[in-house]
Amino acid sequence: MRLLAVLLAFASLATAQEKVLRIPIRADGPKTLDPVRGSTQYEAEVCEQVYETLVQYSYLEYPKLEPLLLEEMPKVDGLVYRFKLKKGVRFRDDPCFPDGKGRELVAKDVFYSWKRMADKRNQPKAWWLFEQTIKGFDAYREAQNKAGKFDYDAPVEGMRILSDHEFEVELTEPVYRFLYVLAMFQTAVVPREAAERYGDAFSGHPVGTGPFLLSRDEDWQRTKSIVLHRNPGYREAFFPDAGGEARHEAAGKRIPFADRIEITFFQEDQPMWLEWKAKNLDYVTVPSENFTEAYTKRKRTLRPEWEEQGVTSAPIPLLDFIWQCGFNMEDPLVGGYTEEKRALRKAISYAVDLEETNDRFYNSINVVYDGMIPPGLDGHPPEGRSPKGARGPDLDKARALLAKAGYPDGKGLPPLEYWSATGTIQQEMLELLQRQLGKIGVQLKPRFVDFSQLTEAVHEKRAQLFGFAWGSDYPDGENNLALFYGPNESPGSNSFNYKNAEYDELYQRIRTMGPSPERTELYARMRDMVLEDCPFVGAMARTRFYLIRPRLRNCRPCETFWNWLKYLDVDPGAK
Amino acid sequence: MLFSRAVRKFRKSRLAVISAIGILAYLAIGIGIFLGLVTREDAFECVGPNHVPGFGAAQKPEKRFDDVDFELGLFERALKRGDKEEALAEIRLGRRRVADVPVEELEKRLDAAFEIFDELDVSRDLNREPQLWPKLGELEAAAARLWQPLEGRDAFSQRVKLAFGTDRQGRSILLRSVYAVKIALQIGIIVGVASVIVGTLLGAAAAYYGGWVDHLVQWLYSTLSSVPYLVLLSVLVFMFQGSAVEQSLVPLYAAFGLTFWIGPCRVVRGEVLRIKQLDYVQAATALGQRRSLILLKHVIPNVSHVMLVQFSLLFISAIKAEVVLTFLGLGVKDEPSWGIMISQAKQEVVNGFFWQIGAATAVMFLLVLAFNIFTDALQDALDPKHIA
Amino acid sequence: MWQYVVRKLLWNIPVYLGILLVVMVALRVNDPVWARLGKNATQEQYEQTKEDLGLHESFLRQYGRLLNGFDLDRYSWDKHGRTVRQELSQAVWPSLAIAGPALVLTTLVALLTALLAAFRRGRPLDRWLMAGAVVGMSISYVVYVILGQYFGAYKLNEWVGREIFAIQGYDRSQPLWWVQYCLLPVLINAALAVGYDARFYRAVIVEESTRDHVRTARAKGLSERRVWLKHVLRNAMISVITHVMITLPFLVAGQIVIEVYFGIPGMGSTLITAILGKDFPIVQGFTAVFAALFIVTNIATDVLYAVVDPRVRLQ
Repeated sequence: MRLLAVLLAFASLATAQEKVLRIPIRADGPKTLDPVRGSTQYEAEVCEQVYETLVQYSYLEYPKLEPLLLEEMPKVDGLVYRFKLKKGVRFRDDPCFPDGKGRELVAKDVFYSWKRMADKRNQPKAWWLFEQTIKGFDAYREAQNKAGKFDYDAPVEGMRILSDHEFEVELTEPVYRFLYVLAMFQTAVVPREAAERYGDAFSGHPVGTGPFLLSRDEDWQRTKSIVLHRNPGYREAFFPDAGGEARHEAAGKRIPFADRIEITFFQEDQPMWLEWKAKNLDYVTVPSENFTEAYTKRKRTLRPEWEEQGVTSAPIPLLDFIWQCGFNMEDPLVGGYTEEKRALRKAISYAVDLEETNDRFYNSINVVYDGMIPPGLDGHPPEGRSPKGARGPDLDKARALLAKAGYPDGKGLPPLEYWSATGTIQQEMLELLQRQLGKIGVQLKPRFVDFSQLTEAVHEKRAQLFGFAWGSDYPDGENNLALFYGPNESPGSNSFNYKNAEYDELYQRIRTMGPSPERTELYARMRDMVLEDCPFVGAMARTRFYLIRPRLRNCRPCETFWNWLKYLDVDPGAK
Repeated sequence: MLFSRAVRKFRKSRLAVISAIGILAYLAIGIGIFLGLVTREDAFECVGPNHVPGFGAAQKPEKRFDDVDFELGLFERALKRGDKEEALAEIRLGRRRVADVPVEELEKRLDAAFEIFDELDVSRDLNREPQLWPKLGELEAAAARLWQPLEGRDAFSQRVKLAFGTDRQGRSILLRSVYAVKIALQIGIIVGVASVIVGTLLGAAAAYYGGWVDHLVQWLYSTLSSVPYLVLLSVLVFMFQGSAVEQSLVPLYAAFGLTFWIGPCRVVRGEVLRIKQLDYVQAATALGQRRSLILLKHVIPNVSHVMLVQFSLLFISAIKAEVVLTFLGLGVKDEPSWGIMISQAKQEVVNGFFWQIGAATAVMFLLVLAFNIFTDALQDALDPKHIA
Repeated sequence: MWQYVVRKLLWNIPVYLGILLVVMVALRVNDPVWARLGKNATQEQYEQTKEDLGLHESFLRQYGRLLNGFDLDRYSWDKHGRTVRQELSQAVWPSLAIAGPALVLTTLVALLTALLAAFRRGRPLDRWLMAGAVVGMSISYVVYVILGQYFGAYKLNEWVGREIFAIQGYDRSQPLWWVQYCLLPVLINAALAVGYDARFYRAVIVEESTRDHVRTARAKGLSERRVWLKHVLRNAMISVITHVMITLPFLVAGQIVIEVYFGIPGMGSTLITAILGKDFPIVQGFTAVFAALFIVTNIATDVLYAVVDPRVRLQ
C-alpha cells in the first residue's frame, strides 16, 4: 500500500509540467524554522525562502544591499534611521489569522519580531546582533526578562512607529553593521498571531511573507528533507535589472519561477555525490574527496566529461577564517603577553607549514593568508601576506624563537594539549601538525572530543590549544576583528581570550565607521596588532565549488545570503 | 613425557610448524624494531607524494602530473625563502635529497622543469591526451634532475619504503605497518603473559583450596564477565581519561588485563579440580607437604600446557581488540598501529585506494592466522580430547 | 530441579551486586568531575557539578540509588534536558532492529555450516569450511565493516544506479526503512560472527556424535537419520541454545563498531559517544543496564537448562 502511494507520487510528478528545484544541503538540515532561534547556515537556507528581511543583498551586484520589505533604503539622519515599508506585503494564509486570510505586514510587526530576539524564553541565538545598538533596547531586554511576563507592548526609546508603513529607529552610536544585520534572517519579520498561537510549535510551522511556503508541516521531515511550494499570494516582484550591458536575460520577469523546491539533507558526502551523478540534483557543492573527479587539480577547470553534459561550475570563495591552532591566551603555559610567551607561540607558528596541510587535505584549493580577515574584504593583507605574520615553514626562526622562549630545542617544554573534534581527518591533521612541530622539538598531546564538547571546552577556557573555524556573518572584516575584542572573551566569540586595551579601543572606533581608506588602514593596524601577539596559527579560507546542471538557469550561488532561490528557473522537461 | 608426545604430534602437522616459524619471524621483526631497525621517526617521515600505489604500479597521467607538481612545489617554496641553502637542505623525501649542485644551477633546472610543466599545463585532461604523454615523461625526467641520484643502499631503501605505496601524507605504508608489529607484539605479549599468570594463580588457588577462596574467585570472574567485554574495556579506558597516562598504552594494558584473566582462570580452575584428585597429588598431601608448595611444585607445572594455549588465545584477542578500540577512538593514539592505519584508510577506501587498509590487514592477518593455526595445533597436540 | 533453579538465582544476587560495585568503582577511580571539567575549573564549579551528579552523597547511598533503578532519571551531561532513561528507551530499538535479525541469521547459517562440516567430518568439505572459518576469523572485523559498507552500499548503489542500502543513517519514516538502513549492517554482523559460531557448533556436534550412547544407538541398528536427529542434534541443541542465550547481551554490545560506522543511534554508539564525551550519567546508567540484561539472560539460561537437560531435571 505504502509502496504504491510512493509510486503514484512519482507518476504524478512525471506528468505535471511543474517547475521543481532539487537542491541538496550537506548537513542534517535546519533544527528550527523560527528565525530568532536559528543560527546555522542551514537554518538560513530554509528560513530565507519563507520569511523576508527588511533589506537584502543584491543578487547581481553583491555585496550591495537593496530594499526587500522596504520601499527604499532607510534615510539616515545622524543616529536616526527612517524606514518606509512596501505596501501590499501580505503574510501567507494561515488559521492563526481571522478567517484564515493572511493580513498585511505593518510596522509593528517589525518591532515585534526584533523584540522576540530579546526574549530569553524564545532561546534566541543571535541577540548579539542587536547588542548596544538601539537606544533603550538593552535596558528593555534586561527589565522584561527580569519581570515575570515579557511585555511586547512596552515601549523602547529608540524604536518609534510613525504610521502603519513608517517607523524610525534611533541608535546608541552609528553602528555600521546595523544595515547588514537587517539583511540577516534572524531579523526577519514574523506575525505576532502565529508566534503566540503556535508557541514552541512555531519552530516547525512558519508563517511568513516569503516567495515560498511550507504547505503542510509534514513536508519537513526532520534530518531528511523539506519541500516548499510557491506562495500563491506572493506580491508582484521581478528579476532585478542591473541595467546597461549587464542586463540579464531574465531581467524584468516575475519571480519566483519555481513551483516547488525539494531540499534534501545529506549527512554524508558520498550519497549526495551519487545523487548528483544520477542527475537528481540541480546543483551540488563538490566534496573535497571527489574534487579531482570534477576538476583538474592544478588549474581547477572542469573536466571535459562534465562539460559535455552541459554542467557549469561556479567557485565561491568563502569568507572563512580557519586556524590551524588557536592559543588560549589565559593559559599559564602558552598564554600571556611577555616576550617569552610571544616567542613560544611564534616559534610554533613558524614551524607550521599550512601549504602542506592545504595540499594533503584540501587538494590545494584553500587560500592561505596572514591575519583573520578573509580574501575579498577590506583589511585582507595584499597577496595574503602581512609583514607581522609568522608564516612558516621557517625552522631556523622557529628554533631561535623557541630558544628565546626558554625552551631550546623544546627542552623543558611539557607536551601541549591540543583539542580537536573527533574524526579520522582530524586525527591525521594532528599527526601532520605533530610531525611539523616535532622538527623543532615541540610535543603535542591530543584531546579528541565531540564538536559540541570542543566548543564547550573552549567556552569554559579549558582548551590550551584548539583548532576550528569561523565563517563571517556578513562581508565586513569587522565581523572577524570582533573575534579578538576583549569583552567578547569566552563564552563569547573571542575564543582566544585575547585582550589588548589599545585594540579594544580601536574596535570601538571601527564599529561605527563605514568603508573608507581610513577604516581599512585601521583594520590593517588591528590585524597586525593581533599578529604581533600571535594568538593563533593560520589562517586559511576555503573555496566552495558549485556544479550546476544545464536545466537550472540564472544560478549564481552565494553563501552569505540564501534568498536567491526565488531567482532560479528550471527547464521542467530536462533532467 | 606428555610434552615429548605432544611435540611429536605437533611436528607432524606441517601447517603447525609453518605457523610457528611465521610467529618466530614476527617476533624477530619485533625485536629488530625494538633495537631500532625501524624507528618511530621512520614511520612518520614523508617519503613521497600522497597516495602512491605500491610496487610502482602504473598511475594515471593526471596523478603523475600532480605528483611532479608536488615535488616542484617543494623546491619553489624553498627557493623563495631568505636562506635558500638552508631551506633546500631541509627538503627530503625519504632518502632523497636535493641535488648536490650550486643554488644557481638548481634554479636553472627548476626553471627548465617549469617550462615543460607550463607546456603540459594547457591540457585539460592528460588522461585523455596520449600525445602529451611523452612530454610528461620528459617532465618527470626534468624533475628527477633536481634530486641527488640515489645509489646502492639508498636506492634500495627508497624502493623498500615505497613498496606498499604511501598514505595521504606521503608516509611509507610499509614502514608504518611493519612498525605496528612492535605495538601489536608489545600489547599481545604483555597482556597475554600478565593475564595468564594472574588467571592461573587465581584459578589454581580457587580449585585447590576450595571453600571461600573458590567462591570469591568465582564471584569475581562471574561479575567481570557479566559486563560485555567491549563495554567493560571502554569503561576501563574511561577510567583513565584525563589522567596522566591517558595518551599512553597503560589504559589499554589495564583494561585488557582486568578482563582477559577470566578465560585462563576458568580453564585452569577446571583442570586443577581434576589434577587435585590424581594420585601423586594425593600422595604428596599424605606425605604432609605444605599445601602452597604442592600447588606450586606439583599442580601448576601440570597446567602449563593450558597456560600456553590460553596465552596464544589471549594474544590474538588482544591485538584484535586493539584495532577495535582504536577504531572507536579509545585505543592507541600516538603511534602507528594497525588500528590507526585501518581507521585512517576509511576515507581512502571511498576513493578506491586500498593500499593502506590492504597492507595493515595483510600484515595483521598473517600474524593472527599463524597464531590461530598454532593454537589449534597446540590444543590438538596437548589435549587428546580436543576436536579441531 | 527447583532446588537447582533457586540455587542459581541466589548465586546471581552477589554477582549482580558485584557488577554494580565494579561499575561504580571503575567510574570513580579517576574523579569523573575533574575529568569532565579539566584542570582549570574553579572549586565552585566542581562542587556544583558534583552535586548535580549526586556524587556528593556517600558511596553507600549512591550505591543504593544505582541498585534501585540504575539512577536513570539523572540528566545526561551533553544532551541538554534529556534523561538517561529517555536516551535509553530511544537507543534500545535501533539496537534490537539489528541485533535480533542478526542473531537469527547468524545462528541459522552457523548451524547449517556446522552440520555440514560435522556430517562430513574429516572430508575435504569439512576441512575447507573450517579453514575458511579460521581465515575469516583472522581478519579484523573493523575491516569487514569498512569493506562491507564500501562494496555493499557505495559500489552496489553505483552499479545499480540508485540507492539500495543507505550508506549511513537510520530513519523510520522511510518506507522499507529496515531494508534500507538495517539489512546491510545485519548481513555484515552475521558474516563476521558466523566463523566463530560455526566452529563452536561443529565442535559440539562432533562431540555429541562420538558419545557412547550414539554408538549404542547405531549398534542397535537405528537408521542414520534417527541417530542424528534423536541422539546427536537433540543433545547438541542444549549447548546451542545456551550459547545463543549467553551471546544475547553481548550481541548488543558487540555491534558497537557497526552502529558507530553506520550512524545507527543504538545503545552501543550512544555509549561510545558518552564515553568519548565523559558523559558520566550515561556511561554509568548504560553499563549498569547492560549488566542487568546479562544477569536476566543468565537466569533465563539456567532455568531453560534445568527444563531441557534431563540430568538437571531429574535431580
